[in-house]
Amino acid sequence: MRRYAQGYFIKLWCVLSGIIVLSLISYIIIYIIINGISVLNLSFIFDSPKGMPLGSEGGIYPAIIGSLYLTLIACFFASILAISTAIYLLFYCNSIKISNLIHLVIGCIAGIPSIIIGMFGYTLLVYQLRLGRSLIAGGITLGIMIFPVIEVKVERIISEIDSYIISSSYALGVSKTYTFFRLVLPACKRDIIASIALAGSYAMGATAPIILTSAVMFAPTPKSLTSPVMALPYHLYLLISESISIQNAYATTFVLISILLTINIIASLVAKTGR
Amino acid sequence: MHKFIEKVFSLFIRLMAFMSIFLIIFIIFFILKESLVFFRQVSFLSFITGKIWRPVSVNPSYSIFPIILSTIFVSLIAIIIALPIGIGCALFISNYLDEGLRHFVKPYINILSGIPSVVYGFIGFLVIVKNFEVKLAFSSGESILAGGILLSIMILPFIISTCDESMFNIKNKYLTTSQALGVSKWYMITKLILPTARRSIIASIILCLARAMGETMAVMMVIGNSPIMPKLLSKGQTIPSLIALEMGGAQVGSLHYHGLFAAGLVLMLLLLCINIILYFLQRKLNF
Repeated sequence: MRRYAQGYFIKLWCVLSGIIVLSLISYIIIYIIINGISVLNLSFIFDSPKGMPLGSEGGIYPAIIGSLYLTLIACFFASILAISTAIYLLFYCNSIKISNLIHLVIGCIAGIPSIIIGMFGYTLLVYQLRLGRSLIAGGITLGIMIFPVIEVKVERIISEIDSYIISSSYALGVSKTYTFFRLVLPACKRDIIASIALAGSYAMGATAPIILTSAVMFAPTPKSLTSPVMALPYHLYLLISESISIQNAYATTFVLISILLTINIIASLVAKTGR
Repeated sequence: MHKFIEKVFSLFIRLMAFMSIFLIIFIIFFILKESLVFFRQVSFLSFITGKIWRPVSVNPSYSIFPIILSTIFVSLIAIIIALPIGIGCALFISNYLDEGLRHFVKPYINILSGIPSVVYGFIGFLVIVKNFEVKLAFSSGESILAGGILLSIMILPFIISTCDESMFNIKNKYLTTSQALGVSKWYMITKLILPTARRSIIASIILCLARAMGETMAVMMVIGNSPIMPKLLSKGQTIPSLIALEMGGAQVGSLHYHGLFAAGLVLMLLLLCINIILYFLQRKLNF
């Protein structure tokens, strides 16, 4: 009898927590959609913030564009460094000690909280290099944050390619460069692009690194790399913490989440069609 | 010509790889350097054990014990709430769902990890804090508990995906054998799956503690941000929110500014300690 009770208890525990988690997710999604869609209209997306206090009326167009620029710069900066590091580790690095050291260092940076990377970006880029609160400072800070994410994924993607292909290519006397560009890259191009896009969506939602380095309360759409920008997550934070407009905050959340979901869906489609 | 391209490409890759590693090491040293300036003037011990953080008054005091304590407190509450639900949900997905449903439910749960932390903060502020104040009649809804509940939702997907992966593998490995022996499902869960999956359970705890302690935005928006000794229903302040709120106002080069870097360093040391403790725990469990 006691055994049956235990069995039921385990089953109850599993099913109950499953239901709790699934309904929690549904609640969050429905909450965002229902509250966001009732406020959202086209002029909100294509208008600048207006009103007094700023943001209580008008739209979020500069914030959308600012967020997209920040994400692009971060992805560009991080993917060059991350893909090169991954290629170096897999094709050029012969010593196990060096590769262990590099993995350790990458593990270190992955464990550093994003606010500390933001603090670093603030002191070095904004203050000591005199970039000011700017697009480039925020982009590089976000890039440092997503660097380990991209590196780990790209390294895994490349190492999943059949090593037989690579070693037979070497055996035929084909150079490393040729092997990489003609054999390795075509096979994993789509997966790499998808992983960069996913890391980009992570960067777009991050607020802590850009609070100190680039985001401001109001700025027009950025004209140059050194101009300050608005960003969606920071705009959302301001709308709530300064209690400017809850309605606009709902709509901003909806826009932010839809952009992130679109990136995610496109990324998974790109990765799938490659298989 | 080919030789030339080969050389250039190899050089480029080596240069970039070197640069990125150099950059990371530089960041770590930079943070160390900026905080060591602080520890030349304020002793490390008084910094982490004193109780008053008052950086801008006439006779300033730099001690972050209550802030360290609330950082740990919030994360522990989050783990305590999330762990049973997360493990239960992982068991549910790996044992009670068939293959088709599993492929549908897993991406659905991963949506949670894709939501930005500021959105969590927003929802937490409007739902958790409001309900604390309106329905439960707390004097202030912004509390350590609200932060803990919100963080527990944020770390759920990480617990679930880490545990589910290993539980699914264990189940596939032993399912036929245990069915042939006539072992019931719950017996298999308690005697086989849970003990074998403890490594990944501990791994998920490390991952989640690190994420919870370093989380800035969501916690900052619901916790009230006052550097007092934390109680379950009182306000508090965590190290990341301290940095995020005060860094912009601190004059670069002042003691206040270096103190914030030192707080960041303490946070990193804290994470390191947790990693080391759980690493040894994991080795001990592996007998």
